[in-house]
Amino acid sequence: MRERVVVAMSGGVDSSVAAATLVRQGFDVIGVTMKLFCYGADVPDRPCCSLDSINDARRVCESLGVPHYVLNLESAFGRDVVQNFVTEYAAGRTPIPCVRCNTFTKFRDLLHRAHALDARWIATGHYARVINGELYRGHDHDKDQSYFLWGIDRSVVRQMLLPVGEHTKARTRQVAHELGLEGVAEKVESQDICFVPDGDHAKVIAKHLGADTPALARGAFVDSSGRIAGMHTGYARFTIGQRRGLPGGYAQPMYVIAIRPDAREVVIGPREELLGRGVMARDLNWLVDVPPAVGAHVQVQVRHRASAAPAEIVRLDDDSIELALDEPVSAITPGQSLVLYDGDRVLGGALIDSSRAARSALPVLAA
Amino acid sequence: MPQPIYMDHAATTPVRDEVRAAMEPFYGPRFGNPSSTHRWGRDARAALDEARERLARCLGATPGEVFFTSGGTEGDNLAILGAWHALRATGRTAVVTSPIEHKAILAAAHYAAHEGATERLLAVTHDGVVERASFDTLVRSDVAVCSIMWVNNEIGVVQSIPDLAGEAKARGVLFHTDAVQAFGKIVIDAQCQPFDMLTMSGHKIGAPKGIGAIFIRRGTPYEPLLHGGSQNFGVRPGTENVAAAVGLARAAELAVAERDEEMHRLGELRDRLQAELLARIPDAVVHSAGAPRAPHVLNISVPGTDSESMLMALDLAGIACSSGSACQSGSVDPSHVLAAIGVPRELAIAAVRLSLGALTTPEGVERVAQVFPALVAKSRRLAGALA
Repeated sequence: MRERVVVAMSGGVDSSVAAATLVRQGFDVIGVTMKLFCYGADVPDRPCCSLDSINDARRVCESLGVPHYVLNLESAFGRDVVQNFVTEYAAGRTPIPCVRCNTFTKFRDLLHRAHALDARWIATGHYARVINGELYRGHDHDKDQSYFLWGIDRSVVRQMLLPVGEHTKARTRQVAHELGLEGVAEKVESQDICFVPDGDHAKVIAKHLGADTPALARGAFVDSSGRIAGMHTGYARFTIGQRRGLPGGYAQPMYVIAIRPDAREVVIGPREELLGRGVMARDLNWLVDVPPAVGAHVQVQVRHRASAAPAEIVRLDDDSIELALDEPVSAITPGQSLVLYDGDRVLGGALIDSSRAARSALPVLAA
Repeated sequence: MPQPIYMDHAATTPVRDEVRAAMEPFYGPRFGNPSSTHRWGRDARAALDEARERLARCLGATPGEVFFTSGGTEGDNLAILGAWHALRATGRTAVVTSPIEHKAILAAAHYAAHEGATERLLAVTHDGVVERASFDTLVRSDVAVCSIMWVNNEIGVVQSIPDLAGEAKARGVLFHTDAVQAFGKIVIDAQCQPFDMLTMSGHKIGAPKGIGAIFIRRGTPYEPLLHGGSQNFGVRPGTENVAAAVGLARAAELAVAERDEEMHRLGELRDRLQAELLARIPDAVVHSAGAPRAPHVLNISVPGTDSESMLMALDLAGIACSSGSACQSGSVDPSHVLAAIGVPRELAIAAVRLSLGALTTPEGVERVAQVFPALVAKSRRLAGALA
């Protein structure tokens, strides 16, 4: 009996190659495209309900001779991902919706549907690897997407197949050509968040919270001494480390160093004020059976495409973690993910709550 | 996997062998354009005229009242918009339909409203029967056309079209019925049933997709939607699809000839399937169960499941059926019909429509009666584990 796998197919080259690879390896493949949101009439040049992507995925499945289904997960995605995206921005943080989509939509809701179809496996086109039931960075570190996968349930990792995690992107495209997937082989990668098609996240916030939401209302730029440096048009338009849109007239480049939603203030400062040596995070999730303990040295990544930085765990409970960084790290941003690595192995992750400029110390043990 | 079972005849049916044989010559030597004067043209014209006559006989109509179309959607649009366009200058400016109509009717009525018509929706009971009081209130002298579906495609409810058509006539209101699911299942006779227009479609009765017909009673005011030549008497210009028209006529004759026997057979099978499913899933809900239903439709919701997952699981188990209406993307949206008859959302999203027909056998029914409850049990077990 061939083992059944549900492949989450976006219509892009990565998930298409994932599906084709699994068919070649003899799996009983079922392609599924999740319908997650509707642009509606807001984006006239794109068809509603991501129809193009759905059609591309269906054509790939047709050419592979496997069934393809469309699953409408709009309401769950709206609740777990879009709604959270908006409230996070309103709280002055910078969310990563892809993390929550992986945690809740793909590797929980879709997995549940896959189980209902007797599937043993769930597969995606992520650049990451599963080795002995544990998650690892993608072989191609430039494309690595393990940073977005820290939130999934540990038991799910053992059910994941990530066939393109061994490839470079170029190799994936080459495989697509070899497998005759000409329709998707050279598809351009989208850099946008899927439900923010033109990259204007303020528009999404306005749609959900109203154009008069405090998050998009006028407020002050202040520097760390409390001096008002100018006015902005909504703190939700800013993120830590941002330079664009800041008032000028300073001797050195200025950056957003903090957002204070209650006061609607965006705090700006020079580069050195951006540095953090301690990071606090919550919603902690471990992906290994034996997680590290207080005092352990790990590598941490505080944003996508940042390099991993050595750090020490200084506080730990079931839900939260605090790390002391060996060297200061720039622009530690509340709402982004903190992912802990041991080399390429993903240990777990958490949601960044705050950072501190001084290195946190291990609690002194009573003698 | 055992032989797959097709239980989606309300979606479409296979072209019958007799129909294919009847059409064959028109893809070969009898290829002429019926509008041509030469022998090829005359030959095609003869076939087309004969097809029209034969189809008219199946409807109790005269040949001049039957026009070939591309199918149900076109017929529905022609009826609503053709009547509204013809009558809007006379002060009859309202279009009345029911909320459980096919989207082709609802969207056409909506388009008429966009052009200035008043759109009115009739009230329906929880079983989907049009409420007479609502009909009496809404179907007044300012109505251009009233359109009510004879047999509903999702829940199978049958409306008393002859009565309603008579009532409309008494008020001088044009009456159209979408009979796409009714043809071959219900006795249709334009001679004694006073509807003004009736739409039918070929692929629901063993003819190919892309052919249908509309009956328009002599003297009924309408404006064509398409403008061109004089084919189909100008009601529907465009070179006729002769082969498909011949096929439609043949399929219609067969359906009418076999109607009583086949409806009896399907009714027994449907009732058996329904009884077995309800016995194995006692809390399942059969929609429209309290109303007269066409014998080929069984629409059932099992609390705690969802159509999308059920349809996939059934498909993978070799059983083909559908939910209410499919979105363009292929995903399942909650049915507007079930919403209109007041089915709670959690039941509406679980609806599965099994529709029986030519390919349905007692063995197939028995297997569905076994497999369906097993899939339900699994789906519920998983839902329970997740909760």
